[in-house]
Amino acid sequence: MKRIRCAGVGFFLGFVLTMAPWDLRAQDKQQTKTKVAAIEVLPIVSDEIKLPAEFRISLYENLIDQLQAGGGFQQVYREGDRNVQDAGDLVILHSTVRGFKQGSERARQVTTVAGATSIKIHCLFTDKNGKPLLDQDIDGKVRFFGGNLRATYDFAKKVAKVARNNFSLNAH
Amino acid sequence: MSLPCHSVTVAVLSVLLSPLALPSFAQQPVSVPGTKEVIGLAGVKNKTKGTLTVDKGFLHFVHSKVKAELATATMTDVITGEDSQRAIGGTLGTLTMFAPYGSGRFLSLFRTKLDTLTIEYRDDAGGLHGVIFTLPAGKAGAVKKELVAQGARTSIPVQEGSDSQTSKPPSPTGEKP
Repeated sequence: MKRIRCAGVGFFLGFVLTMAPWDLRAQDKQQTKTKVAAIEVLPIVSDEIKLPAEFRISLYENLIDQLQAGGGFQQVYREGDRNVQDAGDLVILHSTVRGFKQGSERARQVTTVAGATSIKIHCLFTDKNGKPLLDQDIDGKVRFFGGNLRATYDFAKKVAKVARNNFSLNAH
Repeated sequence: MSLPCHSVTVAVLSVLLSPLALPSFAQQPVSVPGTKEVIGLAGVKNKTKGTLTVDKGFLHFVHSKVKAELATATMTDVITGEDSQRAIGGTLGTLTMFAPYGSGRFLSLFRTKLDTLTIEYRDDAGGLHGVIFTLPAGKAGAVKKELVAQGARTSIPVQEGSDSQTSKPPSPTGEKP
């Protein structure tokens, strides 16, 4: 009986010691999150790669929607908004199109494997003074169902997730 | 043969008042039923169908009780384009994908053409907004023309004499991601 109890205690201690580093790593990850309160989204830049106007606008509007819904920011500002000057702990999102392939909804529906639309955008998060905080290439795709503009929704969802994982709300 | 006095008066008055009658004729509102708001119009749910009207310096979008309007003076860019959609759409369209013997795929070949209308505008605080509409084919040019006539700006000038003018979207060039 004593042996079983000792084995149980040993197993428990072993488990705790094994899990401890994971817990510390998780705490480290949380500590590395930059504290921000608001984000300003700048318009999508597509100088080198021509992007249809509807894609550009859809990207921008979906970004705003997704960052408001799940980005973890107190306030999401649009480019040109005069209220941004009063915002503290502001992060600015710059997006530059790096790749774009306009697929075909018809081809997707007829063949399933062809006609995917994809878009790759370089996202740079900076502070108010332009100091880079995070940069990453993020893509948006539509492979099976939905119109071509659904790729912009996919992209925006991923950006919101990146923002949520790397920034934490600094409530005043 | 002498003309009656009142006939002459009517003729003179109609000649004198005709320039006043012309502007009112020119400012007849452009109305497009069957317009779909894809994204971006404040106060309207995405993918809402309704009627788009351009009148007296405003763009109105009405869907049953939901009404939204945009002042043409706030519009910084108006761009038209072309697209197409499945003839059988919505839930029924998705269900047909699972129809036997590839009949769903066959139905996907039937598509209706439509125009897209993309508008960039600024809100009261100066923030940039964008809204996308899809309209029945051939209608976007007339709407754009009317918007520009009522104060909206555009980066692609309206071509005279073509109501169904659309600006072709740029060819999809870019590296393969």
